[in-house]
Amino acid sequence: MSTAPASLDAGVHEARLRELDEVWGTKPGLRGQLTAVNHTTVGLRFIVTGFAFMLVGGLLSMFIRLQLAWFDSEVLDPQRYAEFVTMHGTTMMFLFAVPIMEGFAIYLIPKMLGARDLPFPRLSAFGYWCYLFGGLFLYSSFLFDAVPDAGWFMYVPLSDATWSPGLNADFWLIGVTFAEVAAVVAAVEMIVAILITRAPGMDLRRIPLFAWAMLVTAFMIAFGFPPLILASILLEIQRAFDFAFFEVARGGDPLLWQHLFWLFGHPEVYIIFLPAAGVVSMIIPTFARRPIVGYSWIVLAQVAVGFLSFGLWVHHMFAVGIPLLALALFSAASMAVAIPMGIQVFAWIATLWSGRPWLRVPMLYLVGFFFVFVLGGLTGVMLAMMPFNWQVHDTHFVVAHLHYVLIGGLMFPLFAGLYYWLPLASGRTPSETLSRTAFWLVFIGFNLAFLPMHLTGMLGMPRRVYTYSEEMGVHWLNLLSTAAGFVLAIGIVAILVDVALSFRHGPRTARNPWNGGTLEWAIPFPVPLYNFASVPVVGDRDPLWQRPEIADASARADGMLGEVRDGQREILCTGLLSGEPEQVVRISNSTWLPLLAALSLAALLTCFIAKAYAVAAVMLVPLLGLLGAWAWTSGHRHAPTHLDVTADLRLPTQYAARNAPGWWALVVSLLIDGSLFASLVFSYFYLWLGADAWPPAGIATGSWGPQLLALGVLGVAAGAVQFAMRAVRRDARATAITAWLLAAVAGLAFVAVHGWALWVPVGPPQAHAYASVVWTLAGFHAVHVLVAVLFATFLAARVHRGYASAARPLDARVAAGLWRYTVGQGLVAWAVVHLFPRFA
Amino acid sequence: MRLGPHRLSGMVAPMVVWALHFVVVYSVQGLACAHGWQRTTFAGHAAVTWWLLLLTAASLAGAAAFGVRGWRAWREARAGIGSGASADARFRRFTAGIAAVLSLIAVVAICFTAIPILLLQTCT
Repeated sequence: MSTAPASLDAGVHEARLRELDEVWGTKPGLRGQLTAVNHTTVGLRFIVTGFAFMLVGGLLSMFIRLQLAWFDSEVLDPQRYAEFVTMHGTTMMFLFAVPIMEGFAIYLIPKMLGARDLPFPRLSAFGYWCYLFGGLFLYSSFLFDAVPDAGWFMYVPLSDATWSPGLNADFWLIGVTFAEVAAVVAAVEMIVAILITRAPGMDLRRIPLFAWAMLVTAFMIAFGFPPLILASILLEIQRAFDFAFFEVARGGDPLLWQHLFWLFGHPEVYIIFLPAAGVVSMIIPTFARRPIVGYSWIVLAQVAVGFLSFGLWVHHMFAVGIPLLALALFSAASMAVAIPMGIQVFAWIATLWSGRPWLRVPMLYLVGFFFVFVLGGLTGVMLAMMPFNWQVHDTHFVVAHLHYVLIGGLMFPLFAGLYYWLPLASGRTPSETLSRTAFWLVFIGFNLAFLPMHLTGMLGMPRRVYTYSEEMGVHWLNLLSTAAGFVLAIGIVAILVDVALSFRHGPRTARNPWNGGTLEWAIPFPVPLYNFASVPVVGDRDPLWQRPEIADASARADGMLGEVRDGQREILCTGLLSGEPEQVVRISNSTWLPLLAALSLAALLTCFIAKAYAVAAVMLVPLLGLLGAWAWTSGHRHAPTHLDVTADLRLPTQYAARNAPGWWALVVSLLIDGSLFASLVFSYFYLWLGADAWPPAGIATGSWGPQLLALGVLGVAAGAVQFAMRAVRRDARATAITAWLLAAVAGLAFVAVHGWALWVPVGPPQAHAYASVVWTLAGFHAVHVLVAVLFATFLAARVHRGYASAARPLDARVAAGLWRYTVGQGLVAWAVVHLFPRFA
Repeated sequence: MRLGPHRLSGMVAPMVVWALHFVVVYSVQGLACAHGWQRTTFAGHAAVTWWLLLLTAASLAGAAAFGVRGWRAWREARAGIGSGASADARFRRFTAGIAAVLSLIAVVAICFTAIPILLLQTCT
């Protein structure tokens, strides 16, 4: 606890700190744990759960290696082998690699930015529960002997209802999509947090590089995850309701799955790698004991990688028979991405070169990272060359490459980060001997396990197959891989034991044991759940190196937001570019809502996989009820429109501020939703491109009358929303309520009229891929209209109860923004569904 | 939307040009092969190759324009360092520098994409 500042009486100061502890603290006992929403707790949960899933995924890989240790092993039968390979890949990608980095970000980002918490604590808690339940849902397939077995990429037709008639594929599609909710909400959280909750003075060029990396990553998730979410939804609809997106006999195309999957799958590699690169950029300056060289270069390299990595997806499909020029375009982009990657590596080397490197355990892992990742990158460039790719496609060469990239690019920086930030969470350092031994076990074990796979692959050993022939002569190499794989496993267990032991037995350390320069090291141990008693003000990229006194100043309660008001958690938001203070944001205290909402969603999905569709539909009621309660408690009738930050600084609250976090969350959510919609439109045109006739014989385009009527009704809804918004701004309550309700009624009418306008000419969606995709487009939009209808009704109630008004327009702005987007999406969907087939 | 070199949207604009170019080239190529457009030739090459090259030239011009603007803004900001509003000038030098170099990367990446168009037939 810090000493009282001169400006405050010691008693007052103590009282302020106590009050901060009370308001930000988690309630004792299980109830407190289940309702906790603060970022420190949620972040640690993500990290612990991520490592638990890593151990399970690792265990599966041990069985895989045992099976491949010799050519005639019978450890796993072919079916079990397929299941274990599928679950190993799925677990490591979806339940370990992505969530663990989210965990690091959720735990660290507010601390690095000088913020007390993330802007939407309930959302991150909800994301965590979705991740946990999604993972458990996936693993519950073991209980029903329906373990997913079609590979982590789930290619159709192998994964469709004909070739995977059991529930195996359903467990994958629903479980993974459920867990992905966490990634998507974390993206919203991160973008808003990094853009507007930075400490005052932290303008764009002072953002810690890990935060820059997370910002780019979050945008990549926003564009990269929706294609897979869409693909999973389409395949699940096809499996559950016999739609025809991927079925050739009814005009579908299995390649559509591959496009959507890799549109996600390749950026995914960089979604995993960029945060790890951000970790590297944070650790290197500390251990080189100098500021990073080429900060701007690293930032622009991260942005460039973020873009270029989207131009690579077809390089996973070089062997499927796409025209050469198209393949070459992706080959070229695959090589172009090496440029910004190289820029980052050179900046790191330059920093080490010009500094005074200090080889502590985190640095040791970074040395391992350089070695392993560069090798993985080189084989990546080899694979980007089509002729070479065709030779080693689907062999163990690719297995070696992807493990070099992922273990080199993610695991080594991750362990470096784990050791680097451990003292922040534990207040202790781990055992130097054990951690160095563990490093060498991991490093040697990994290389001996995966280096031989380059050879076995080039000799023709196929991947995803449970055995290989003796004549291939690769059994000794495989035996070596297996033995070394166990060394790697022992190393990883040693790391986790080391970390666990350090919490109890490690030598205690002072604050900032490595002398890091960024704000997370200003926080005392044990970390108070409010992070900073006063919001720090920064004037440099490495604030603690420039002004070490910032640590003590931010632990005293006499600065910005040092005083608790109304028992509310308050954070400070700043300008997107400038980092100037802009608004005070009141965020949620502990609540049951995230857990209950995730539980309802889990119940709904369980009913769905059990094919109890009616019950699943009924489960929407508690889910919507909880989300409604969530939205309703986001504001207050008597919420202040302005608050004092210090004696001479008064700022608007989020209810009145223009750049409110809620508004930004809407913008980012719509970006994600827009990407989902764009993927669906892409699917429509992709199916059209492969079709002989569009619409096919037996399906008509229909008459203009009902279609134009539907459009007109949507126009009425749009007009009503504009009118309602104006009425809210004028405080004309009765008019506003009427207009919101009119928008809701018009929205419902649109859904009915449009359904009728489609049913007559198109008929049932099962008839042909055309009907499937048209109904899905219309249905997708109808869901949006129904959500917008709920929002309009909600707003009518909000205006009625005095929550939304001219002084507090945030709710209304969000609802109107959602409506405008929905109408715009409707126009595009309408044009695609009704205009395009007439002129195609 | 304003796309000045000192805004986030302006800084990433050249990469957006690259992305648009990439998507359009890939889509036009797919459409051309599906509809047999490559059979129409002009000056010894498939007409669609010319279209793709024209598109590339336009994209290069777009990315380069962002680059030139970023470069000018960077020089302007650099000249301002040391004057009264030095902090602001440093900030502008940072954003303009990023915009300028990203434009350069975008130009190189667009050229990378264009090389196969020059070397290969559209639909083999």
